[in-house]
Amino acid sequence: MPTMTLIQAINTALDEEMKRDERVMLLGEDVGKRGGVFLATEGLQQKYGPDRVMDTPLSEAAIIGAAVGLAAHGMRPVAEIQFADYVFPGIDQLFSQAAKLRYRSGGQFSAPMVVRMPTGGGVKGGHHHSQSPEAHFAHTAGLKVIVVSTPYDAKGLLKAAIRNDDPVVFMEPKRLYRAVKEEVPADDFLLPIGKAAVRREGRDITLVSYGGPMVETLKAAEEMVAAGLDPEVIDLRTVMPWDKETVLASVAKTGRLLMISEAPRTASIASEVTATVSEELFDQLLAPPLRVTGFDTPYPLAQDKLYMPTVTRILAAAKRLLDY
Amino acid sequence: MVQEKVRFQPFSSEPIRLVDEQGHWVAPFEHGLPPELLQRFYRDMLAARLLDEKLVILIRTGKTSFIAPHAGHEAAQVGIAHALRKGHDWLFPYYRDMGLVLALGVPLVEIFGQTLGNAADPAKGRQMPSHPGSKALNVFTVCSAIASHIPPATGAALSMKLRRTGQVAVCTFGDGATSEGDWHAGINFAAVGRAPAVFVCENNRYAISVNISKQTASENIAIKAQAYGMPGYYVDGLDVLASYFVMQEAIERARAGQGPSLVELVVHRFGAHSSADDDSRYRSREELAAERQQDPLLRYQRFLEQQGLWDAQWANELRLEISKALEAALQEALQAGEPDPLEMFDDVYAARPWHLEEQRRLVAEELQS
Ligand SMILES: Cc1ncc(C[n+]2csc(CCOP(=O)(O)OP(=O)(O)O)c2C)c(N)n1
Repeated sequence: MPTMTLIQAINTALDEEMKRDERVMLLGEDVGKRGGVFLATEGLQQKYGPDRVMDTPLSEAAIIGAAVGLAAHGMRPVAEIQFADYVFPGIDQLFSQAAKLRYRSGGQFSAPMVVRMPTGGGVKGGHHHSQSPEAHFAHTAGLKVIVVSTPYDAKGLLKAAIRNDDPVVFMEPKRLYRAVKEEVPADDFLLPIGKAAVRREGRDITLVSYGGPMVETLKAAEEMVAAGLDPEVIDLRTVMPWDKETVLASVAKTGRLLMISEAPRTASIASEVTATVSEELFDQLLAPPLRVTGFDTPYPLAQDKLYMPTVTRILAAAKRLLDY
Repeated sequence: MVQEKVRFQPFSSEPIRLVDEQGHWVAPFEHGLPPELLQRFYRDMLAARLLDEKLVILIRTGKTSFIAPHAGHEAAQVGIAHALRKGHDWLFPYYRDMGLVLALGVPLVEIFGQTLGNAADPAKGRQMPSHPGSKALNVFTVCSAIASHIPPATGAALSMKLRRTGQVAVCTFGDGATSEGDWHAGINFAAVGRAPAVFVCENNRYAISVNISKQTASENIAIKAQAYGMPGYYVDGLDVLASYFVMQEAIERARAGQGPSLVELVVHRFGAHSSADDDSRYRSREELAAERQQDPLLRYQRFLEQQGLWDAQWANELRLEISKALEAALQEALQAGEPDPLEMFDDVYAARPWHLEEQRRLVAEELQS
């Protein structure tokens, strides 16, 4: 089995899907000769030509809007937004067109497309290169939202997203692009959208996270184990629709939920998960579900590390839950 | 002052140029500029170039995390800076305008503070490097999101008109920006509202790796103005005097209530797109070498020589003086230290609401323990 970084897994998934299905095409800013600013599409234009790996004008509205039309007409476009922060000039196309096309046409039209984007902080990018806007997407009916944290998941989920019949927002934590390496099967495999991964089984407390902060979450879990505790760790992988069943089963077992996310706290995925657990498991909880999140400020360059959920912050919240 | 006669024709098929490659004045009018100003242009272009070189050193030595080189844009940027009334008119710059903000008078210490993201940055280290701004000098804070500053420039210009302040809003951007919806929305509104604005494209023919041929099917950027109902000037932006005179005419025209215009200054980008880019992936070294032959500083030096306003000794002294000022300002900025981490919670709103108070307290406790 080859060992890959997350960015290599994405490149491989795109390559395999383009080879498998002629309708699959890529479009975005700098995806061609440059191979994408993070090199996700490196080598693909040489292989598949400029019509299937298309450098577009600098317009997210044009990229996402055109993807809707390409998809409605029968192609399988994978659009790259250079940074998640730059999806906003294209948001009307994503929200008004892509997300609602199936519904408003009574199921006559649909937009099977993927919008990939690097997300999150930790790379000294300041607020326009560090945001985690997944809650905006999750709040918009009609979109599926994936946030990956491992190379294996990236390959399996991106391939599944490309074959999915709905618009999928596929978010890639840029700080993990080259930070993690693992074995990824060279063959064709898909992972189910909407299914979380249990990274560690345990009985004392449930830690739920996704994307970039999975790193800190797993580190915190290790420290807890070293201290004689037995945490369960869940990686949501898909945040819309998120895997309620797996999370509820886990919290029913442990009685404690700590949700960790790097996005701003208010009206977030973390709010949603903790609220749902409170609603559905109220009488089985040993403590109120807690959140460790990013702050309700724009992402500041100078406090790049402080902004993200730190291991210390996760452990402090876990202690509160365990001591409750 | 409104120009007595209009000097420049919009929508020319050749770029407007006043000084040729050999440094000859080729315009049908006298420049009439005092020697001090002519030399000042050179000084500012040289300062811009040396600032760029300094920024490259800062990135190579790991002192900063990002730069967007502006070498090749100096003539355009210095031309713009001198055409507007400093501290009176407003500038809406973009991230490649470090030479422009320097020529406008933004202090070097602030420029370096912003580059270091430390306590010497008046913007408190919140943004990426190459995102300056100065309320004192009416330089709007740079935003990373391409073209997002264009509708605000229109709005400011409309305010200048409504409030009869006699100011003009000058807004700069690259050729890539002209593809964004915001560009079209802002330009259209300005034209409809006869806003006192000048929109300036510093066209280096690349948006990161994407060549201008993928950005527009128009024959140039200036011609787009036609569709919006404003004049569009196609200008050689490697010629500081052409940049200056055309900008001046457009600005004074706007100031006189005759509405906005679009100025395209065709330049080169000698560096990569940014410190995160490797331009050898998408442009040949031959192309770049050929462009480097057309250095705006060299062309202007030839012109000054012919005017008897340049000699090597003067230029060396100038270089030394600027280098010293750069180094002194950098050292001062380096001394400033890190910003207070709790400043992270300031300026989200005019006053901190309860949830930010709560989050701030959490971090304060964490930092104490
Ligand atoms: C809305 C948006 N999309 C994408 C980006 C990423 N990006 C940063 S600079 C750039 C190219 C801009 O090119 P141009 O406008 O020609 O200016 P230049 O850098 O050439 O001076 C891109 C695509 C961004 N900053 N904002």
